[in-house]
Parts: sequence; structure tokens; C-alpha cells
Amino acid sequence: MAGKRKDTYSPEWLTANRWFFWIAAFLACVMAAPVLWVTALSFKDNALLMRGTEAVFSAPYTLKNYFDLLHSSLVFRWVLNSMVVAIGQTAGVLILASLAGYAFARLEFPFRKTIFVIVLFGLAVPEQAVIIARHQMFSWLQLHNTYWGLMLPGMSSAFGVFLMTQFFRAIPREIDEAALLDNTPRFRIFWKVLMPLTMPAQATLGIFTFLLAWNDYWWPLISATKKDMYTLTIGIASSQRNFAQSEGLGFLAAQAVFAALPAVIVYIFFQRHIVTAVSGGAVK
Amino acid sequence: MSATIDINNVTKAYGSLTVLDEISLGIEAGEFIVFLGPSGCGKSTLLRMIAGLESVDKGTISIGGDRIDTLPPGKRGVAMVFQTYALYPHMTVAQNMAFGLENIKIDKAEIRKRVEAAAETLEMSHLLDRKPAKLSGGQRQRVAIGRAIVKEPKAFLFDEPLSNLDAALRSRTRLELAQLHQRLGSTMIFVTHDQVEAMTLAHRIVVMHDRKIEQIGTPMEIYQRPATRFVAEFVGSPAMSMLPIKALEAKAGKTGLDVAGAGMIETTIKLPADFKLDGAAIGLRSEDTFVVNPGEDGLGLTVSVVERLGERTLLYGKLDNGLDLIVEDSGRSTVRAGDRVLVGFDEKALHVFDGNDKAYHWQEEA
Amino acid sequence: MAESYRRSSWSNALFILPYMSVFITLLVFPLFWGMWLSLNKTDLFGGAKFIGIKNYIRVFNDPVFAQAVWNTVVFVLVSVPTLVALGLFLALALNKTTKGSSFLRGLFFSSSVLSVTIVTLIWRFVFVPGDGLLYLIFTKMGWETINFLSTEGWSLFAVGVATVWWCLGLPMMLFLASLQQIPGDLYEAAALDNASRWRILTRITLPSIKSTILLVTVVQIVFQFQLFGQAQLMTNGGPSGTSRPIVMYIYETGFIRWDVGMGAAASEVLFLIILVAAMVQYWVTSNKEEA
Repeated sequence: MAGKRKDTYSPEWLTANRWFFWIAAFLACVMAAPVLWVTALSFKDNALLMRGTEAVFSAPYTLKNYFDLLHSSLVFRWVLNSMVVAIGQTAGVLILASLAGYAFARLEFPFRKTIFVIVLFGLAVPEQAVIIARHQMFSWLQLHNTYWGLMLPGMSSAFGVFLMTQFFRAIPREIDEAALLDNTPRFRIFWKVLMPLTMPAQATLGIFTFLLAWNDYWWPLISATKKDMYTLTIGIASSQRNFAQSEGLGFLAAQAVFAALPAVIVYIFFQRHIVTAVSGGAVK
Repeated sequence: MSATIDINNVTKAYGSLTVLDEISLGIEAGEFIVFLGPSGCGKSTLLRMIAGLESVDKGTISIGGDRIDTLPPGKRGVAMVFQTYALYPHMTVAQNMAFGLENIKIDKAEIRKRVEAAAETLEMSHLLDRKPAKLSGGQRQRVAIGRAIVKEPKAFLFDEPLSNLDAALRSRTRLELAQLHQRLGSTMIFVTHDQVEAMTLAHRIVVMHDRKIEQIGTPMEIYQRPATRFVAEFVGSPAMSMLPIKALEAKAGKTGLDVAGAGMIETTIKLPADFKLDGAAIGLRSEDTFVVNPGEDGLGLTVSVVERLGERTLLYGKLDNGLDLIVEDSGRSTVRAGDRVLVGFDEKALHVFDGNDKAYHWQEEA
Repeated sequence: MAESYRRSSWSNALFILPYMSVFITLLVFPLFWGMWLSLNKTDLFGGAKFIGIKNYIRVFNDPVFAQAVWNTVVFVLVSVPTLVALGLFLALALNKTTKGSSFLRGLFFSSSVLSVTIVTLIWRFVFVPGDGLLYLIFTKMGWETINFLSTEGWSLFAVGVATVWWCLGLPMMLFLASLQQIPGDLYEAAALDNASRWRILTRITLPSIKSTILLVTVVQIVFQFQLFGQAQLMTNGGPSGTSRPIVMYIYETGFIRWDVGMGAAASEVLFLIILVAAMVQYWVTSNKEEA
């Protein structure tokens, strides 16, 4: 408002000019447009769309595509696979990273510092550098097209260990000392005293890992080659291949909306945790 | 169930940095002993060594005659109250107190009995199901003490427990700690840098400075007959005023001291023949000084700051030769800043310090 | 801390054993085995023959690889600055406590939680010739329609648009975090110094978040060099390989043609490129700071 003056000068004042906001709002429309487009398409009958997609702007709308989807045999199998893999990988990461984080933060053992540095270097290794070798390995071990085969590679991520180590380090040492005077054995200190205090980090790491596992593309692409072992992400990709001659744009659009739902639901409920995970907790 | 604690020639070093140097000390069963000293003197380190949280590099520590410095913290029979309380944040008060007992497999009924008894002693039975976040600072401290009580330890260790409390709570808690000690009769070791806490709570005080023990004694001993210059200046508020000794003259049965700013003083304090003069001084506590009526004998003091405390008035000023002196006057003093007054002091209350900072006091004719 | 607790012992190492087993078998070992594979020629039956750097020579002589490198470099050079600039703009514009700003921030970040397959599916619906959203918009505006996905030059652009849409959230969030760390009194002091908004922006705000800008840039460079899914699914690298990125080349070589050795070699080359690019970027910016 032109007449309204802010008495304190703050970062908000910096871009209080309305132009900033309206450009951002315009960009937001551009952001939302594709999603709205696809969602709208999903509510149209395929036959009508075949004749021309302008049909999307007018009635009639239908839920037929979603019914077809629900009757399609494989989609639910794919969702199940994604669930198992994502939950399994998340559980694995949380357990492995917590145990290791506690040890790196609180315990002493030979070469502790060196090993930690090596783990940190692991953060720099991109997927391509290891994926071919991993594939060979898993072929030899016959782990392809199995749940373990899909879950295991993600558990080697150094990010979780790094995060948990930082978190354990932040807990005041006096708590450990009080537990020592309470005659608590090491593992009990870890499990009953310190772990419960890392819940925020567990939540953050857990959600982050869950999404990463759910959305993983390259590894499931080459490891899950049987249609019934596809994760949802790969399943959607396979349907895309026949885009031009597909079962119909409407049906495909419904697939896209359906596949996006889990991630969107997780996002809506856990937005705070996701933002914390990526921004280090500094964004309010 | 309290025990004696013997600390023998204990040394601790971090690499080449010595933190405690040949400390020896005997603590009696049931005693309330205070480790007093400025930060960095090693008092907390010594306490943590008794607890087992720091290792002993040389020497031994024993409780009740049994050597403990090789045992892990939980097995020494001591309990510690941390400065920050270190309560387990996710457990209730009752669980906090029960935790240690669960670890040594004491049966549930006995645990409950002890927890409830301790809660009653500390008047926090109504807080048993709360978590630390919902407690005030004073309540948290009581939980920390409760956690120690239920263990029925041979000794209680307190690491500056009153530092985190505000002033009003501090004096109240001091009182409660004294009452607790009377009730339980256990050996208690209390670490602090606050001399008021030390003076009011201790049976004996261990004054520590720069990695060594300066003096061990009852509060009155420490106060009235400090063994070294450091103790004399550390204990007592306001601090003792120091006036350098310029010359010494042995006379029949007495010693004459030529003191800067105070002139010639005769004292019956026995000083040895090899008394080191360089760096020697006499010490005067403000309560041993007084303002003399004008016209009588006295030293001239130009007052720069007057502190009216109600029951007494402190005059901060400079003697004619420029040396600082703090003099105490009655609460009804009418002296103002800028006045020049005449002051005197009780010669029997002099403390004499030689060049090695060793103290000599007036001996009672037994 | 208690000596017995801190005393170095192998039994303490048991805590890291589970993770380290996974780390070594699934990260360290494949890393080095991959390097070994790149020096071998593997045939379909699993046999391997050591051929030294021949695979690397084949990779470097392959015009398809050269094209892929070119595509990827162009892609990174265009997409990263766009992401950084747009992310910064949005962070500045939406660094407010109003509900509207909060909602918009949530909106811009939401695309990042979707998988690449959903993102590409959505954007294919936009780009579909004759039926897509863009087609409709173009015809409505009377512009000549472009078949983005199958026109050389435009195909990479289309991939870029989808990528920016997908990845915008993270830079924005990181910048927001950084902006909120700037102490408020800096602005008040500047106001008392009569500084204009633009001056404050360029002389106070931006310098304060310099390290974040560097971090975001490096992270995005590393990430965008690994472009794969969007290109494969939207354009399949075409037309004529004009939108094929390096990772897709690796994928095709290693998992379609099963020339494992050559694929491994290409992946090592990419690893090297990424390392170098990140280091150069870091070095250039730190030097500029000193200058």
C-alpha cells in the first residue's frame, strides 16, 4: 500500500514492492499450469480427447479413467513394491546411520577419525561411478528383481551417517555422564538414553530417505526388469513409452495424478520436515 | 552409608599440560567438604576424577579403604549432581530416578519404595510423572538430587549445583542442602567458586589454586587464619587490603614492621629468621579497621567511594602515600566521598605475608 | 568423559560394523571395481579381457559421446544460472511472513518431491504436438507452433524447462535459509545510511549470502551434469542425439548394448568432469572474492 509505511527496516521491506510479489504470483501460475492441465485431462473421456484436447475446457467430465486405473492389475502391485522398498530402505538407513552416528560421535575406536573422513568422501561419489559395478555384483548374487536388491544400494548413503553424527554430537555430554554414573552399559545408553533424543533428526532423515527411495529411477530401471517388480516410478515410465499410441491421454493423465498422490500427501503432512532436511533447519 | 575418601598424590595431565599436581587429601565419613577456587584451578577435574569421569594419571583414590580409581563410574558407589542437572529429557521424574537402579537390577518394589521416599524428602512427590521440560530450574535440581539419593551412595558429588539458579533460589537451596546433609549424614563433596556457599555449607573447605591445594581447614580457620596470600585475598568480601612491608626490625619479644603507608607497627606475631622481605606485605580485613575521632592517632585516608550497606559502611580510599585501603565504619557513618578521615586498625588482627606468600598470624598465648 | 567409555576399543567399532559393511560392499568396492571394469572388455558371457585404456580411447573417439558431452555442457551452462537466478529471485520475493508468501513457497517447492517419471509425464502432456497445452496456447495466440520435443535445438530446451520446473524448489529453500540468517540490524543501519533498496540488495544482501550462492551453484552443477531421466523419457535423446546427455550415453552403452567396459569408462570420464567442474567453479569464485 503506498500510504503504509513500515517503521522498521527489514528483509521484507527490501522486496515490498508489489512487482516482486506479482511476478512471483505469475511464475506460480506458470508452475501450476502443467499440473492443472494434466489433472483436467484426467477427468475427460479418452475418446473425446482423441478428437482434440480443447475438449478439456468443457463438460462432460468423468471419473472413468480412475475407475479403469483401479481395475488395472499392475498399478497396485507397483505401489506395493514402492512401499516395501521405500519403507525397508528407510528403516535400514535409520538403523545403520544411528548406530554409526552414535559411535562416531561418542565412542573411541582405532582409526575413528580416518574412517569418518572416508565416509565423508562417500558423499562425493555420484551414482554413475558405482552403478555398473553394482549391477554386475547383483547379477552375480542373483539379487535383481528382489526387494533386497532394490533396498540395499540406498543404505550405503553417507548422508544419513553424517546427519546422525552431527545430531549425536549436539547432545550435551553430561547426559552420557549421568548415565555412566547410573551404571548404564554402552548399548543401553545408545538405545534408551540418546536415541529418543534424536527423534527430530530421525523424522527428517526418515522422510528424506523415504522420498528418495520412492522416487529412485535409474537403479530400479536396471534392477527390476520384471513387470511385477516395478516400483511405481518405473511403472509410470513404462506406460509413458507408448505415449503416442497409448490407451488414451485421459487414462495416462489419471495415472500421472494417481502416481503423484503419495508424494503429494507425504509433502502436505511433512512439509516442515522435508524443508528442514534440505535447508538445515534454518528456514522458518 | 557414607565412607571416607582418600586421595593420594593424584596427578592429572593433558599431554604436557598438568592440570592437577600431586594432590593429597583425606575426607572423613559424613563430612561436608567444599572444593573452593577460581575457574581453572582444577577443582571440577578433581571431582570428576573421584566420579570416574576423568582418568587418574598418577596416584590413587580410595573410598572406605577400597581403591576406586580403576573402576568405571557406575561401580564406585558415588552419585553426582551436575551443574546442568543432566536429567534425561524424555523420561519422567520417576523414570529419571529409577533408571540407575534398573541398571543394577534392583527389584521393582524396592525401586518404587526408594523413589517415593526420596520424592517425599525433597517435597516433589507431586512431580513424579512430569518430564523435565515442564519443571522449573529449582525443581529440576531437586530431581537431580533425588536421582542421587535413591542410589544410596557412599558419597555425593556436587558440581557447582547452585550456579544456574537465581539469587533468591540460591540462598533457599543452600539452606535445603544443609538440611539434607543433616538428615542423611552422608559424605558430600561440593565444588564451587562462590565463597559464600563454601563458608555457609562446609565442615571443611579445600581451597585450590593453580593445580594445587592452598589450604584445608574449617571455614573459620580459612577466614581468620588464611595460610597463604591467595586464600586471604580470595575469601572475604570485600577483599583484604594489602600494604607492603618495607623493613623488618627484631626487637625484644616483638617485631617492628615498617609498613608503607602505615608507618611503624609493632607486632607479637612470631616471624622466622629467614623471613623473605622482598614482596612481603601485611593484610587487613576491612572489619578490623575503624574510623578514629579527629585529633586522635590515626592514618590519613582520602575516601573516593562510599558503600552504604545498611549494617555497615565501606570506605574505599587511598592512604596518604597513595596505597589503597578499605575501611569499615558503622552503618550510621556520615563520611562522604572526598572526605579525609583518620583510620586505625586492630593490631592483633594483622596478617603478615612473606615474600613467598606464606602467612603468619597472631598466636594465642595458650 | 569417562575413560572406560572413551577408551579406544574394538568392541566400540561394532557399532559402525553394520553401516561400514554396506558402505564397503556397495560403495567402495563398486567404485574400484568400476574402474577395473573400465579397463577390461567384457563379453556377454561374463568373460573379461584386460585391454588397458582402449575403452577410454573408444569413448573419446565416439562422436555420439562427444555430442553427449556437448549437450550436457550446454545444458548445465543454461540450466544452472537459470535455477540460481530464479531461486534467488523467488527467495527474495517470498521472504515474508504473509500467508500468501508461505503458500507460494510451498507451491514452488512441491514439484521437487515428485519423481522424474511423473515430472516428464506431466511435461509431455504440455509439449505433445497437436494436443499439448503449449500447442493450444500457441494456436490461440496465433503463433506458429513448434514441435518442441522433436525439433533439434528445441528438444534440449524442452528438457531444460521441465528440469527447471522440477528443481527450482531446492535453490529457493537454500537461499531463503541463508537470507533469514542475515541479522536484521544490518538493514536498519543501511536505512539510517540512506541506502536505496537496490543498493542494499547489491551491497548488503547479496554479499551476505555469497557462500550460499556458491554452494547452490556447485550443487546444481553436480546435479545437472547427471541429467538422465528427463532426457530419456521426454525425447529419448533425440532428435539425432541432440538432447542425449552423458548419463544416457552411459546407460545405453552399459545396459542396452551391454558393452560394460566402455560404459564404465564413460562413467569414469563423467565422474572426472563433475569433479573438475565443481572444483573449477569453487576455485574461480573464491579467487574472485579475494580480488
